[in-house]
Amino acid sequence: MTLDATVARQMISADVLRLRKKRGMIALALAAVLVPLVIATGYDVIRHASDPAHYGPAGGLHNFARLLDLLGIFMGPVAAILIGAEAGAGDLAAGVFRDNVLTGRSRTALFLARIPAAVAVTLTVIALAFAIGVASTFAFAGGLATPSLSVLLQAAAWLALANAVVCVVALGLASLTGSRPGTITALIGWELVLSPLIVQAVSLGSLRRGLLDGVLIFLKPGPASGAPVVLMPVAVAVIVIVAWLLAIPALGAWRMRTRDA
Amino acid sequence: MYATRGALTVTGMEITHANQMEGHRRPAVDQREPAVETEGLTKRFGDRTAVDDVSLVVPRGVAYGFLGHNGAGKTTLIRVLLGLTRASAGRASVLGLPVPAQRARALARVGAIVEEPSFYPHLTGYENLTIAAAVRGPETRKRIDGVLERVGLDKRSRDRVGTYSLGMRQRLGVARCLLSDPELLILDEPMNGLDPGGMLDVRRMIRALVEDEGRTVFVSSHLLDEVEKTCDVAAIIDGGRVIAQGSIEELVADEAGELLIECDDTDRALALLAGDPTVRELRAEHGALRMNLRARNQAGEINARLVAAGLVVGRLEPARRSLEDRFLEMTTRLEVAA
Repeated sequence: MTLDATVARQMISADVLRLRKKRGMIALALAAVLVPLVIATGYDVIRHASDPAHYGPAGGLHNFARLLDLLGIFMGPVAAILIGAEAGAGDLAAGVFRDNVLTGRSRTALFLARIPAAVAVTLTVIALAFAIGVASTFAFAGGLATPSLSVLLQAAAWLALANAVVCVVALGLASLTGSRPGTITALIGWELVLSPLIVQAVSLGSLRRGLLDGVLIFLKPGPASGAPVVLMPVAVAVIVIVAWLLAIPALGAWRMRTRDA
Repeated sequence: MYATRGALTVTGMEITHANQMEGHRRPAVDQREPAVETEGLTKRFGDRTAVDDVSLVVPRGVAYGFLGHNGAGKTTLIRVLLGLTRASAGRASVLGLPVPAQRARALARVGAIVEEPSFYPHLTGYENLTIAAAVRGPETRKRIDGVLERVGLDKRSRDRVGTYSLGMRQRLGVARCLLSDPELLILDEPMNGLDPGGMLDVRRMIRALVEDEGRTVFVSSHLLDEVEKTCDVAAIIDGGRVIAQGSIEELVADEAGELLIECDDTDRALALLAGDPTVRELRAEHGALRMNLRARNQAGEINARLVAAGLVVGRLEPARRSLEDRFLEMTTRLEVAA
């Protein structure tokens, strides 16, 4: 059974359909990125309105840097993990994996179709949050400087890269383990707790360059935020990202090929 | 009928039974290569042999029942045929293509449900089929509306599958199988958990797939009555081994012949035939005589003897046993032999 472009496109659209219709997961992913954004911005707006002498506006470049941290390092990856884990193990959880295998379609093709679908859904969620965040950056800038178009485009590209990578890693890990809850727990724990701690452990030196978080923070455009940066050549950063992008999904694809249906 | 404990080869199988009780039409014998053929197929899990030296021939264009107790090895054999797990020994072909060597080509022409059909419960029936069709290929998508109507789910296709009954999910599973317009459908326990109405629906659907559309349907089941009512041909598997296969008529027939006779004086007829050398076993039952003959085609002689003795024979017919009787007799015999 050959896989032509039409079939590949259909398979990707089908995976997008099953992901976007998982309303609970989509709502959770949107909540993960939007609720902290709305709370943080709302808090700043109220604070600035009540005491403008001590508290600056809720928008502007400084708050834009915080938006990037939120969407690229903290809560954006949480949404990416939720979606990636569903894409990687949703068919196993529903028992549909066997039926897909029974079509005679190659398991590798079934796996590969999930990647663009999961990334597309993840980036849609992130794009929505980014659009709202950028709007508030400008709307509540007051007299502060706002990001230029160039910074905005770089930030969008970086957010797309950061969340797509995390999503693909989550997808690969979920396909490898066959467990959505396990993958979500492990990766959120890693992303939000362990990885930030390790990035700050200066004693680990250049070993920290292997961390996805460290690389993504290093590549982050625009104004600096409070997150610690592990310095490295750009080539090393690219190699580390490619390694993460290849290694975990390759393991997931291998498991999918060998899994007893 | 071919009853055996070892490897089994079927030659020249003639499909003579089209389930007269249900009024099924007799399927034409298809001369192409068998829909499924296995030879010495064996599957072991560690020390346990789940499928043991099974040789099967499933002719085309019939409903084929694969009958056995739970745990007899039915699903394992199906999983081997579909390439979901590898055989430990032996060979298998599906629609003339060796599996697993040409599994993808074979499965493109096969629709299968293994164990129970699974779906994404958060999606509608239509959406689930859209996803299945996407994996099958571009032509398949055009068939969604047709197959939903075919299985009687067109009115509920926009409802979430999570709200479907088991019977509806079974029918949606068959609809998913039909998406690729398969020559062969393999349905693993399609009647499981269904109420009588649901069973009747599935039975009718299977018969229509065979009689109206010329497909081959391979049905595994532990429900003997349903196999007898639904299928033209069957194999009985027990302990991983095929112990018999043939048309349903052949399977239920007694090798020596069992007769049921009603006459005007049962006691005199009983006394007359008690010492008859052609009669192996004789008993009075509900005002009639039931007897096992030592050989076939001796019913005429028995009738002549009764008439010669001045008895009026009102009824003389072969006693038809159910597949369940036959199945229990075979499996019990094997248990005793073991």
